[in-house]
Amino acid sequence: MSGADREKFPEVDDAHLRLSRTKTWGGLETEAAYGPPEPDADYAEQLGDPGQFPYARGSYPQMYRSRMWTQRTIVGYGTPADTRAGLEAARAQGATGLDVVLDTLSQEALDPDHPMFGPEVGSEGCSITWLPDLEVLLDGIDLTATDIAWHATVGLYPLVLAYAEKQGYDLTRLQGSHMPDHVTLTLSGYGEKLLPVDLAQRATVDVLEHVARFTPRWATGFPQCYNLRERGLTPVSEIAVGMAIVNQTLADLAVRGIGVDQIAPSMAWVSTTDVDLFEEVAKFRALRRVWARTMRDRFGSQDLRSQRLRIACHTSGRSLPCQQPLNNLARATVQTLAAILGGVQSVETCTYDEPVSIPTPEARELAIRTQQILAHEVGAARTADPLGGSWYVEALTDDLEAAALKMLGQIEAQGLLAAVGSGHLEELIDQHNHRTEQEMQSGERLRVGVNAFRSEHSTPPPRFQIDHVAVAAHVAEFRARKAARDLEPIRDAMRDVRGATAAGENSIPAMVRAFGVHATSGEVWGAFRLGLGHPYDPFGAVAPPLPLD
Amino acid sequence: MTARPVRCLLGMLGVDVHSRGLRTVARILRDAGVEVIYLGEHNSAAGMAAAAVTEDVDVVGVSFSVSTYTHYVRELTEEMAKAGAGDIPVMVGGLIHPEDLELLHALGVTMVFGPDSSTDAILDYVGGLPISQRGVAS
Repeated sequence: MSGADREKFPEVDDAHLRLSRTKTWGGLETEAAYGPPEPDADYAEQLGDPGQFPYARGSYPQMYRSRMWTQRTIVGYGTPADTRAGLEAARAQGATGLDVVLDTLSQEALDPDHPMFGPEVGSEGCSITWLPDLEVLLDGIDLTATDIAWHATVGLYPLVLAYAEKQGYDLTRLQGSHMPDHVTLTLSGYGEKLLPVDLAQRATVDVLEHVARFTPRWATGFPQCYNLRERGLTPVSEIAVGMAIVNQTLADLAVRGIGVDQIAPSMAWVSTTDVDLFEEVAKFRALRRVWARTMRDRFGSQDLRSQRLRIACHTSGRSLPCQQPLNNLARATVQTLAAILGGVQSVETCTYDEPVSIPTPEARELAIRTQQILAHEVGAARTADPLGGSWYVEALTDDLEAAALKMLGQIEAQGLLAAVGSGHLEELIDQHNHRTEQEMQSGERLRVGVNAFRSEHSTPPPRFQIDHVAVAAHVAEFRARKAARDLEPIRDAMRDVRGATAAGENSIPAMVRAFGVHATSGEVWGAFRLGLGHPYDPFGAVAPPLPLD
Repeated sequence: MTARPVRCLLGMLGVDVHSRGLRTVARILRDAGVEVIYLGEHNSAAGMAAAAVTEDVDVVGVSFSVSTYTHYVRELTEEMAKAGAGDIPVMVGGLIHPEDLELLHALGVTMVFGPDSSTDAILDYVGGLPISQRGVAS
């Protein structure tokens, strides 16, 4: 469908971006922030007012009074056209930020015609493989004005750049974000087969260097600690492992000539909230303090935008059991509240049917309504760091920070990449999961409806069904258009990707050119893999369209 | 002849990376004395079937957190039959929807451990399996 056939994609309603009320529900006026009557040196050193170094109490003086957190909803299923319709529905429900999730194949840079995985196309997200997919998904959406967060890592950034170049955008004004933390994926089940750690870190550094030099308004969800928490990290180890990834990457970028103040302002920590409200609030406060001091003291940052951390939070999917799934509405509400009390900049609230299927439209609407209730009725957004000064939360903040710094020291003594490659971090994750399982078995850790307070009346909610006919037609069209391509420019572009990669040059410009001549994600990423001496297709089932040699 | 421990092959099929649950199950089985052959993520059905034969296992376990599991289970049981391993029991775990239980059993799955199953139930089942005589006969 062309732009002319479609109405302009609706902008965010301005009222959704502002705090609607500063008085309490009962009518008392409130301040933007509260603090000790006589701030002492210790307060200034350890906490500071909101918007003041070390930002424990929040990154901005007025917090949600100056800008409401971005209320995000995640969309991604079936074909690009299906997901486009989902984006329009989400905007109509009041989502101020749109997140696109790719299907598993697209996330792993495997094309929809890969011979081994046919049924995966479109099943857990949207199939996005090459330029024609973006032309459908993004038709009429202004990429310099609309905030789309791509829940994608492998190959996504050069594909969007190729699209943006073709559409004539000024790349220095390009908005949106993606999650270029590849090492996190190595640790989250991609493993050595799909993302060997050397290749993973190389890809991360190439992307971030290119972001710093050419797309300064493009945001990067980095580090991507959500996956690691879901995999089995605690709030303490989230800070430790996340900072280890950040420190290693900033050091690698310095070798490329990129200083901390050229890239840190483009980073937003991707986090989660599990169900322990106070622990998660304390984590965000400790994390901002660790981040600020690291940027200033370790990397010599002089730009406040580098030192005040922005955080994107997706509430925990792992915490939502399938038993009595409506209980998950209560869990997700508390988790969303924890994110707001912790001062994050954007939230995606998990849908209650997370353990059942990808969200139904009704479940998505409930998730966005949860955020709106917290923003406009509960008053959670009214004043910055409302739990600051609580003896409990301040002690938890200090304890979390101390434990995280200790663990960070241990990881860095070994070296991040060694700790990943040797399986040390995976063992840490396994131990946590095993301990949690034992605690569930012994009854030391109770989960309502799972190992306590079980109900006879738990019925699963409806399952979301993708349109298999539309997906089959999409794959058939993909095959036909792919077969009609002129292969020589694609082979040349793939050679360039492989060559630049092997030569130690930044691979992104060559990837953008390859996507521009309609190479697929599998082809571009395969050429990158070859450049580092890894097999073209990790499953050994696909060869390049023309031999590269 | 002395009894050997139960041998159990565990792995993920397809592109599903949600192997956290399976890794925990592997550890619990090992702690209970089961010999676990853990293949990790991204296996093909044919590869798992071949491993089941060469490793002479008493049970094969696969886990899923994505919705496409019936396809892969069908592939696995077909490949196991082709490899002459159709008699080895197959257990399936993960986010299995109750509506799919009947189909999974029809495909030859012996046990399903869904989100509501305890680790004790898995231990009881695996611990009570007959030991394969395959290796003894040859």
